[in-house]
Amino acid sequence: MKAATNSVSFTLNGEKKTFATSPDEKLLDLLRREGYRGTKYGCGQGTCGACTVIMDGRAVYACLLYAMQAEGRKVRTIESAGTFEKPNEFQKELIDAGAVQCGYCIPGIVMSATALMETEKDFSDEIAREYMDGNLCRCTGYEKIWIALRRTLDRKAAADAKPAAEKTTKRSSSKGAK
Amino acid sequence: MKDPRASKFKQVNHSVTKIDALQLALGKDSYVGDLAPKDALIVKMLWSPHAHARIVSLDVTAAEKMPGVKAVLWHGNVPRNVHCTAGQGFPEPSPYDTFMFDNKVRFVGDRVAAVAAETEEQAVAALAAIKVKYEVLKPVFTLDEAMAPGAPVIHDEPEAHVPIPIVYEPKKNLVAHVNCEAGSFEGGMKAADFTFDETYETPYAQHCPIEPYTSMAQIASSGRIIITTSTQVPFHCRRIVARTLGVPVQKIRVIKPRIGGGFGCKQEILLEDVVAMFAVRTGRPCLWRLDREETFRTGRTRHPFRIRLRTGVKKDGTITAIALECINNTGAYGGHGLTVVSCSGGKTLPLYHCENILFDGKSYYTNLPVGGAYRGFGATQAFFAIESLMDHMAEAIGMDPVKFRQLNHIRPGEGSPIFAALGEGREGTPMTVGSNSLAECIVQGAEAAGWKNRADWRGKTGRYRRGLGMCCLMQGSSIPDIDMGAASIKINEDGSFNLLVGATDLGTGSDTVLAQIAAEELETTTDKMIVYSSDTDMTPFDVGAYASSTTYLSGEAVRKAAADAKRQILATGAEMLGLKPEDVHCEDAHVLNEDGSKKVSYSDIANYSLYQKNQYQIIGTASHITKKSPPPFAAHYAEVEVDTLTGFVKVLNYVSTIDCGTAINPTLCEGQTEGGTLNGISYALTEQYLFENGKMMNASFADYHIYSMRDRPPVKAILVPSYEETGPFGAKSVSEICINGPAPAIGNAIYNATGARLNEFPFTPDKVLAAIRAVKK
Amino acid sequence: MKLCEFIRPEKLSDARNALRKLGPKGMPLAGGTALHFMNTKTPGTAVDITRLGLSYIRQEAGAFVIGAATPLSDIQRYRSPRWSMHEICRRISTHQIRNVSTIGGNICRVFPWADLPVVLLAMNARMMIYTGKKKEDEVGADDFFASQPARRFAGGDLLTAVKIPFLKANHGFGSVKAARNAAAFSLVTVAALLELKDGRIQAARVAAGSAIPFPKRLRSVEAALIGNEAIPEVFRAAAAKATEDAKWCKQEGMSAEYIKDLAEVSLVDALERAAEFARGRTK
Repeated sequence: MKAATNSVSFTLNGEKKTFATSPDEKLLDLLRREGYRGTKYGCGQGTCGACTVIMDGRAVYACLLYAMQAEGRKVRTIESAGTFEKPNEFQKELIDAGAVQCGYCIPGIVMSATALMETEKDFSDEIAREYMDGNLCRCTGYEKIWIALRRTLDRKAAADAKPAAEKTTKRSSSKGAK
Repeated sequence: MKDPRASKFKQVNHSVTKIDALQLALGKDSYVGDLAPKDALIVKMLWSPHAHARIVSLDVTAAEKMPGVKAVLWHGNVPRNVHCTAGQGFPEPSPYDTFMFDNKVRFVGDRVAAVAAETEEQAVAALAAIKVKYEVLKPVFTLDEAMAPGAPVIHDEPEAHVPIPIVYEPKKNLVAHVNCEAGSFEGGMKAADFTFDETYETPYAQHCPIEPYTSMAQIASSGRIIITTSTQVPFHCRRIVARTLGVPVQKIRVIKPRIGGGFGCKQEILLEDVVAMFAVRTGRPCLWRLDREETFRTGRTRHPFRIRLRTGVKKDGTITAIALECINNTGAYGGHGLTVVSCSGGKTLPLYHCENILFDGKSYYTNLPVGGAYRGFGATQAFFAIESLMDHMAEAIGMDPVKFRQLNHIRPGEGSPIFAALGEGREGTPMTVGSNSLAECIVQGAEAAGWKNRADWRGKTGRYRRGLGMCCLMQGSSIPDIDMGAASIKINEDGSFNLLVGATDLGTGSDTVLAQIAAEELETTTDKMIVYSSDTDMTPFDVGAYASSTTYLSGEAVRKAAADAKRQILATGAEMLGLKPEDVHCEDAHVLNEDGSKKVSYSDIANYSLYQKNQYQIIGTASHITKKSPPPFAAHYAEVEVDTLTGFVKVLNYVSTIDCGTAINPTLCEGQTEGGTLNGISYALTEQYLFENGKMMNASFADYHIYSMRDRPPVKAILVPSYEETGPFGAKSVSEICINGPAPAIGNAIYNATGARLNEFPFTPDKVLAAIRAVKK
Repeated sequence: MKLCEFIRPEKLSDARNALRKLGPKGMPLAGGTALHFMNTKTPGTAVDITRLGLSYIRQEAGAFVIGAATPLSDIQRYRSPRWSMHEICRRISTHQIRNVSTIGGNICRVFPWADLPVVLLAMNARMMIYTGKKKEDEVGADDFFASQPARRFAGGDLLTAVKIPFLKANHGFGSVKAARNAAAFSLVTVAALLELKDGRIQAARVAAGSAIPFPKRLRSVEAALIGNEAIPEVFRAAAAKATEDAKWCKQEGMSAEYIKDLAEVSLVDALERAAEFARGRTK
């Protein structure tokens, strides 16, 4: 690694971390250097999405962001999404739908979808497509990725709607809905 | 029409979960870049800024002294071993016209010199310190320039030659020439009521795998060279690197981990010789990853073609004559030039009945990016011409385009003189078509696309006009008599098996498909298979992933290896049960007698045979070569909307039917079809190489347009099964054919919307608008 | 620019002072996406301006006020009557870019393909610039985009906000961005703001960009609209006047002649959208 002249501190997957870095090091290079290799290099130009991570709730291209821009922020990578024992729901749907072919685009797609689910309440096709428009895939034609996404979003929308529905049908009580 | 055997399958023809899907979805270390040691040196290449030049002098002394630099390679300090970079069987049907480094550069993006340094920054700085003097030569940028008498000779080096007796005339820039004739084309034209003579052009394109070319080499403690690389052809890689470096094959091990897509561009030995050389020179692990710009400019591409197609047709719909003349631009190096042009005829002309067929295929050098293997492999380009002209012919005789094809397409049990005449570089293999559900594909596709509502363009008005177009397709499955795949499979104590295959999974899921085939043959379940693939030390030989071979060729090798293991399991099971092998059978991972009263599990058999009595390792091994290349078939339908004021074309709906025989894994077959189709759609509409003095100017996804989730039209894949007797459990192939459809289907749809015919693509708005304006009602 | 240093000023005045001191070696950094299009060899210092409270969308006295460091995705999500910035923002690049690319970043250094300058010219936006004084300079779009804005900021001044007047009654806005794919750079971007009265065009601001060297207003087109009916024939005749203001360039291998045709059709489409919008807005 080249001489590190600076350091940067940010919360990474829930843990506060401090890393040595240099002003022109990109976040992607720092992450991969520090062992977070689930975030991939696809173009280095902010066009393909293989390097998508979430910073302060927004999906961003780690290959474009300077590591120093992450100072004091909350960064999440694919490593935070799921494990062998507990893949997250969207990861499970992707696997079940046959949406993982070469898999290179998948971590980025999972992160963009995560940002969508955490930010929006309206999961219409139009909004979902806008959130996913920065993740390129050359293998799948997106068909099965979309099916897996739609299933996950529809289930989440139904789950989010439930407490409200239960509230109106339940008699008013101190308990209330979750 | 589903074959009755298909209903009995327990593992194949089921959408078993892809074996590696979980690890990939979690982002686990899987690809070359993830596996590189922390102390790997970074390799960077100095690329030629000139399209055609001699290197008059090259001084690396300053670069060698720069901080962090461990080695510099250039033509003056590496062996000069002429070879071909194409991943093909030996001896390759391609010219040996490449050196690791040469004293001449032949396209903008050709290799000049390379540096290995501790960091990328140091490597890039060292490149800038390399002093090169060029003598710029006159470049050749078009086929016409290449073919002109007295044209600059791109390959004037004395070493350039072809290893097999094929036509090769580098002094004329001619890389290949192959031709054949069945019947009499001239005679057939005389018998026609209508004749046609059209010329078509197809463009450059890049495969755009999301993982760029990446290779790594390190020296093992034994001193051997271990190459870990994103490749489709590990065994060809080993052989060609051995040749290029001048070391024995024995010294090299090639490992393919997971790779992030290939589509043909990684059927090439483009990086591995250099990383291996650096590892040898420095003793350190060396990692070379092309960035995206380099992938576009210096990586392999799809061969542009110029196609002259002449046909004759009778009023009753009989096609009396076809002359297909294809010329491809293979760029600065000749690998795949011959085979791509051969396939442009060999994998297309048998589709329709015709007694008089003439084929002529040529390949020329130019000083432009190099054509390589790209899904479809020449058939893609030729089908644009053929399927566009089919519509033209149908209209001349007043017949519906679907009906015209239904009348003329090849039927099950039929052959074609083209199968024997045109192979890949050699003569082909005579063949009659076995499985063929094309007729059903056409009907199902028409239904799904709403073909019966199609209206003629002449009645259409308004700014936005819709049209429906279709095409029929074929491809091949493996290269018969030439390519070989092998597998071995051994049992473990718990009834699991290690399946070792040379076959190469590029994300296609072949590890899974082959595991399903093995499990089906062995009467056990796919999850009992531990698949390890594509390691030249550990797995048996396989030519690699190309020519739509893996299911049909490697799959049959796997099935045979599994059958071999099964015989041993039956023998040992019988021994354990005190019965004769012919009185027992396998079922649900058990060996049992006829009425099931006596049985023993595979796990019991494994423990017995490994530890207890008459111990031996139950292991099955088999190789396979195919005797035919049974075509998959497809019918594609495209619905478009054309803005007649701007020329913008939008695909509203696309139906891809596919006859791949038995779909070993239906979901994966759909995935291949959906992905290849969308790739074909952007190839038809938005992908192009824009050049300035031979330099590709739009080398990023920002300027080279492929579709995102927001752009994509709905693509419906419809599997129409048939049963190929010669394939494992009835399978043929699926992965290439689908990319052939969109250019002609969309072209035909644009015609149906507006009356505008385009003979070249991509169908950019300016071309479409000009064609619309040229329409005479 | 190759970053050699990275500083995070805590106040606007500190940021400006730092930039003044650094001169050409200093670069205000918001999203940072523009650095990708600039020379990667010249060493420089990044001055992070994302922590100065410049990311907001407010309403005041007849205008929307957008902080200069507001990401495009925030503008894309904002909804309000008399607002139409979301439409153009959702068509810029990709989701991840919109999350970091800011309105300031899009207009302080104008690249040929930029969409926002075209829209802001048509909307008659006003740019607020911090020059070290207590009261910020307010610069109208015509002045701001008269030449490359980067020159205006060379001395360290900083854009703090963009003010977009509310769309008044009988006013309508329309824009068209012609591009090959959703994420692609624009082939041609046009925008129009029309005021209608009794079916006739009272006032018009029409701007174009991307297919010309620099975004600008098309005054000949505007002149051909004023006083006429808001109908397609008028729009077509006016669009044809654009060649008097703009020299259309070839794009992506397509001829200048074709781009001119595309631009004129796009202008008509934008005008029709603006007119329809205006007709529906009687309050």
